[in-house]
Amino acid sequence: MRRFRLSPLNLVVALLIGSLSFAGVGYAASLGLVSKKLHVWSQTLTKGTCNQTSTTAADTYVRQANPNSVAGGTATTLRIVPTAGSQEYSFITFNLSGCSLPTTGGADSAALSVFVTTAGNDTISLFPVYSSWSESTLNWNGLGGLTIGSTATTTFSGATTGAKTVPVTADVDAAIKAGTLWGWELRATTGTANVVLASSENGNAARRPSMTLSYEK
Amino acid sequence: MKRLTRIIGIALTAALVSVGVASAASLGLTTGKLGAGSAAVTGCTSSSLTATRNVDNNGNVTQVNVLSVPQACAGQTLAVTLENSGHASLGAGSTVVGACTGGCTVNVTGFGTVAAANLTSYALSLTG
Repeated sequence: MRRFRLSPLNLVVALLIGSLSFAGVGYAASLGLVSKKLHVWSQTLTKGTCNQTSTTAADTYVRQANPNSVAGGTATTLRIVPTAGSQEYSFITFNLSGCSLPTTGGADSAALSVFVTTAGNDTISLFPVYSSWSESTLNWNGLGGLTIGSTATTTFSGATTGAKTVPVTADVDAAIKAGTLWGWELRATTGTANVVLASSENGNAARRPSMTLSYEK
Repeated sequence: MKRLTRIIGIALTAALVSVGVASAASLGLTTGKLGAGSAAVTGCTSSSLTATRNVDNNGNVTQVNVLSVPQACAGQTLAVTLENSGHASLGAGSTVVGACTGGCTVNVTGFGTVAAANLTSYALSLTG
């Protein structure tokens, strides 16, 4: 067996190998090559449409001058009146249960269309409703029991007759996640004129409220 | 001759160590990134968690919500990439999972302007 002799050259070799190994380990550690805990996954979405018509619509309007009466449900029009003491607000919603959307789904886009049959120089604002109501029972006195958003989702001008289409994507997206859409309260936020819309019972089917909905789930 | 052998040995050793270090760097194994290495990993969860997203009234994504993130993931970084049908990135964001009781819903924001209509999949990762 050959004896190992610690010559200057052997010493240099040993130091060099040791230094390089130390540098390599140190560099690897600096790269974060310690025991990282990783979890990677993906989720694919399904897209679709579920447009709403008068078949799934519910609508009515309430009258301050007749606080106990139920005006809508069967009326062929929806009224919006800004006159103090005689205000009238309209309500529109759609039953989305037929879309079979899970609460983990959402709206990619949603747009509500209404038809102004009597124009008035008002700004009509849509406020989201967050609690249940029925077109066959809602009256002015029932408004106090509703939870209605304080910020308008969108507005349109009632100054001309014809179809008005407004985006309601954020509200419908939130409603899908909540499990139920309770629709919107429509009221005049500027102007003094009366505005009339076609309801879901209107004789002209093309004028009834509708909503386009593109979703993901 | 012996001296020549030793010199060659030194050169070879230095070269091999250098190659090893350079190879690690070439894999992109920098802190917080996933590389193509074969390191065995253990995560705080092995489940595929569910993500949802919120939109504004224009249909643009405002935030992504990852549901039921286990408490064990607190402190880890959750990264979300929004992808189109070709799996190209539409936007990305990340956040550190906070401490919570039970499963956490972790909200990630900062994706820029991304139309939800173009979003067809999420790519998600948790790194500790």
